[in-house]
Amino acid sequence: MEDSPMADDANIELETPASDVFLPPSVHRETLYTGESYTHFSPVPDSLKPAAGSELGEPCCLGVDEAGRGPVLGPMVYGVFYLPIPLSDPLLKTTHHFDDSKVLTPAVRSALMETLCTPGTVLNQSCGWAVSNLSARDIGANMLRPTAIYNLNAQAMDATIALIEGVLSRGVNVQEIYVDTIGQPAAYQKKLERVFPTVKITVAKKADSLYPCVSAASVCAKVTRDAALEVLYEARDPARREQQQQAGDGVDEEQKPEGMSWGSGYPSDARCVNWLKQNMHPLFGWGPECRFSWGTAKDMLESKGGVKVEWPLEEDEGTSRVTDFFVEGKREKDSDELGTWFGTPAGLEAF
Amino acid sequence: MLEARLEQAMLLKKVVDAIKDLVQDCNFDCNDSGIALQAMDNSHVALVSMMFKADAFSPYRCDRNIALGVNLVSLTKVLRAAQNDDVLTLKAEDAPDSLNLLLESIEADRISEYDLKLMDIDQEHLGIPETEYAATIQMPSAEFKRICTDLMAMSESVTIEANKDGIKFAANGDIGNGSVTLRSHSNVDKPAQNVDIELTEPVTLTFSLKYLVNFCKAQPLSERVRISLSSEVPLLVEYLLSNDKNSGHLRFYLAPKIGDEE
Repeated sequence: MEDSPMADDANIELETPASDVFLPPSVHRETLYTGESYTHFSPVPDSLKPAAGSELGEPCCLGVDEAGRGPVLGPMVYGVFYLPIPLSDPLLKTTHHFDDSKVLTPAVRSALMETLCTPGTVLNQSCGWAVSNLSARDIGANMLRPTAIYNLNAQAMDATIALIEGVLSRGVNVQEIYVDTIGQPAAYQKKLERVFPTVKITVAKKADSLYPCVSAASVCAKVTRDAALEVLYEARDPARREQQQQAGDGVDEEQKPEGMSWGSGYPSDARCVNWLKQNMHPLFGWGPECRFSWGTAKDMLESKGGVKVEWPLEEDEGTSRVTDFFVEGKREKDSDELGTWFGTPAGLEAF
Repeated sequence: MLEARLEQAMLLKKVVDAIKDLVQDCNFDCNDSGIALQAMDNSHVALVSMMFKADAFSPYRCDRNIALGVNLVSLTKVLRAAQNDDVLTLKAEDAPDSLNLLLESIEADRISEYDLKLMDIDQEHLGIPETEYAATIQMPSAEFKRICTDLMAMSESVTIEANKDGIKFAANGDIGNGSVTLRSHSNVDKPAQNVDIELTEPVTLTFSLKYLVNFCKAQPLSERVRISLSSEVPLLVEYLLSNDKNSGHLRFYLAPKIGDEE
């Protein structure tokens, strides 16, 4: 299975979302509760729209990165981030120190995202972004399809393409695309080049630390995932939701909410496994926050405490049975050969 | 007391291999005329009927009717030990709780002996009426297997249409459709390649290919296969156990699909 526990113990700290994570506009609370996948596009900054009279806007570069590929809990989020090519290095790298989301602490990531979403900041005025939220439910359903399995890589690739197409269709003049690799860079690059023939495409391993726009995309994706995970957790824990609300109302500012008891959501995180164990419904397992196709979840449900479901053999519709044609024969041969020599037994009713 | 010596252990192995995916547990009914087996698959769509006539064995002795309740997976495991030229002797008591299998290799002077535990199986037996079929096709068994597996790639079901032009196997699926048509023909040099079609009236029926492909696992038994069809009755696919008609047969019956596309 695609179970890739990328987070080693050392990483778990970084992977665990900050509890007071900034809630970006890309978190659609109601959609998350339903377990559906969705995409969110930020408004295109005015500076990037084609100027009056010209066909094309300012040439932009666009970065693509993903967050939450390995966890058993929560969505996998793909992020794209675009800005004018000349701004890429000075604005992102020098001014805001964007880096691979795994290097930045949750608090820094959250702060960067907050700046990006605050109108009036340079970041907000010159950059646009979008995320695609592949819900755990859909990931699982696609991977567990009985036929034509739609694996994680294919889902990821399609999400990426849809995001880039969305940005292009909003009139952004994307000239360069940088993508953090999934699988073989060369094959993936070829495929993208076929879809976007006019754009210069670079697919590379570790692109999130090489190209500032990919770093920024990874921050968008990571912060969205963390916030989405938080929202999903609240849905599972109503007490916590109230607490959160009170904190939000300013009733008790001192009371900081505790960390989520499911930890980072990675299968390698003991808190995550414990949470899964304690919150498993014997029949239905978990809610839309869980990727049922992950080995961790599947094994637990199938062998550790889940009830075994017997699926009756599907009636092959439209097929008759041999018993419709052949009737049960009386097998006289079955009776003892010698027994019948002296007549058949009278049976009890004779008395 | 049952004692039956089969010159070719492989013959039983092939039979069991052919039916073990269709049936898990079944009774081998032994009487003085031979060893018979009848069983349906779980969904009651297909029926297997096997007959090893007493003539297939030398010698054959069965004093009283005995039902040997066998798990076919277990029997397969034992028969896996059989080598190509082994002679197999089956032995059982009158009210047996195990079946004794003796594998002898004349060449290697080796005797292997296995006891297989038996089980009580309560099995319903169906009476299969003698049927005059509207169409009977005798053809090379490998050819039939190829047609079934080829069409399986197109669809789950196959429509078999027999008329004066020949016999047509047609499959209609999501990716497209395909068909194979056969006409009567005889090959003087290789009579095993003949296709013989006997037809009394045209008939068209649809069957699940999954089962037909399953039946074709009996292909190693015989070079030839006989397929018999009549409207409103199950299809019959018959393999002879050896070229000698007196040895017995392995028959598969398959209920047709209802609601023909026609």
